Amino acid sequence: MITKELVAASTEPLVLSLLSRGESYGYALIQEVKRLSGDKIEWTDGMLYPVLHRMEREGWIESRWGEAENGRKRKYYSLSKVGKKTLKQQREQWNAVSGVFKQLWRENYV
Amino acid sequence: MFNLDQAISDWRARMLAAGVNALDILDELESHLREDIEEQMQSGSAVEQAFGLAVRRIGNPGALRSEFAKVGRGKWALLRKLKAVLLRASHSIPSMSTFTPSARRTLELARIEAPRLHHDFIGTEHLLLGMLALENGALANLLKRIGLDRGDLRNQVENRIGLFPRSTTQDNLPYTPRVKKALSLAAREAKACQSPTIGPEHIFLGLLLEGDGIAGRVLKNLGVTAETTRAEILKQSPPL
Repeated sequence: MITKELVAASTEPLVLSLLSRGESYGYALIQEVKRLSGDKIEWTDGMLYPVLHRMEREGWIESRWGEAENGRKRKYYSLSKVGKKTLKQQREQWNAVSGVFKQLWRENYV
Repeated sequence: MFNLDQAISDWRARMLAAGVNALDILDELESHLREDIEEQMQSGSAVEQAFGLAVRRIGNPGALRSEFAKVGRGKWALLRKLKAVLLRASHSIPSMSTFTPSARRTLELARIEAPRLHHDFIGTEHLLLGMLALENGALANLLKRIGLDRGDLRNQVENRIGLFPRSTTQDNLPYTPRVKKALSLAAREAKACQSPTIGPEHIFLGLLLEGDGIAGRVLKNLGVTAETTRAEILKQSPPL
């Protein structure tokens, strides 16, 4: 299991990355991140929504109410222009960190 | 017998009581809850168990409330507050005698709308809802000509309103700074149209021009612009 702190730090870049693949909604985002992480990242379901609302307020994502295939109301989110820029910056930061780890750990194993 | 709709409505009431009180947020959480329950039932769970697990997964109402409360506290919060204080200082409500009878009726209806929604202030949303209750006259015509459906508009406004759990008994509810601004803009517009009195159509234009209140945002979302509205008002009653 991944620690609370790391989950908190990675939620926003994860949401930005997921939405960069196209419009989605809360429930699907949670399932997708669970699947991709092999169940290692588990968001408390409800807690994703305040994050989404904050990101919308920052102008990174946009939302609209739509209808699901079964006729139910669903709130869809998509990446804004500012969000794309933010994602690019966040990617650089995460790549920098993970690049350092990669080098350090490779040296360990030689 | 377990009734899912009833259980969900009870759950909404608990969220509301804990202070998660924006309808939009409750609708979104409910949509999530139903999604989760459906998924679980497809893999063979009984509805009652699925509901219980989904509620547990969505989390504690109190914790959710405090997370949603943080959303509003962005870096601009202080600036917004300052702006609100400045707005309050700079707009005074036009004198009652300058309003037409139906404009005065609009203001009265807004006073009825606010307590109905358990709000202890009169905001742009109440003003717009009050206006929509007027069935005839210049405003009803104006709405028709700019292609707005009253019922639709009412729904859009109500969807954006947070329903507050407590009821207030205060008699003299204050206008929000945005309403004051909208009313003083209405006075300015009436003057510009060379109308001696302020009608509901001018208040409507005032709400549009104010722009940041719930009413203004709903109207903008529907694609209503101040320019076309002003043009329609002038068409209806050309300046003398």
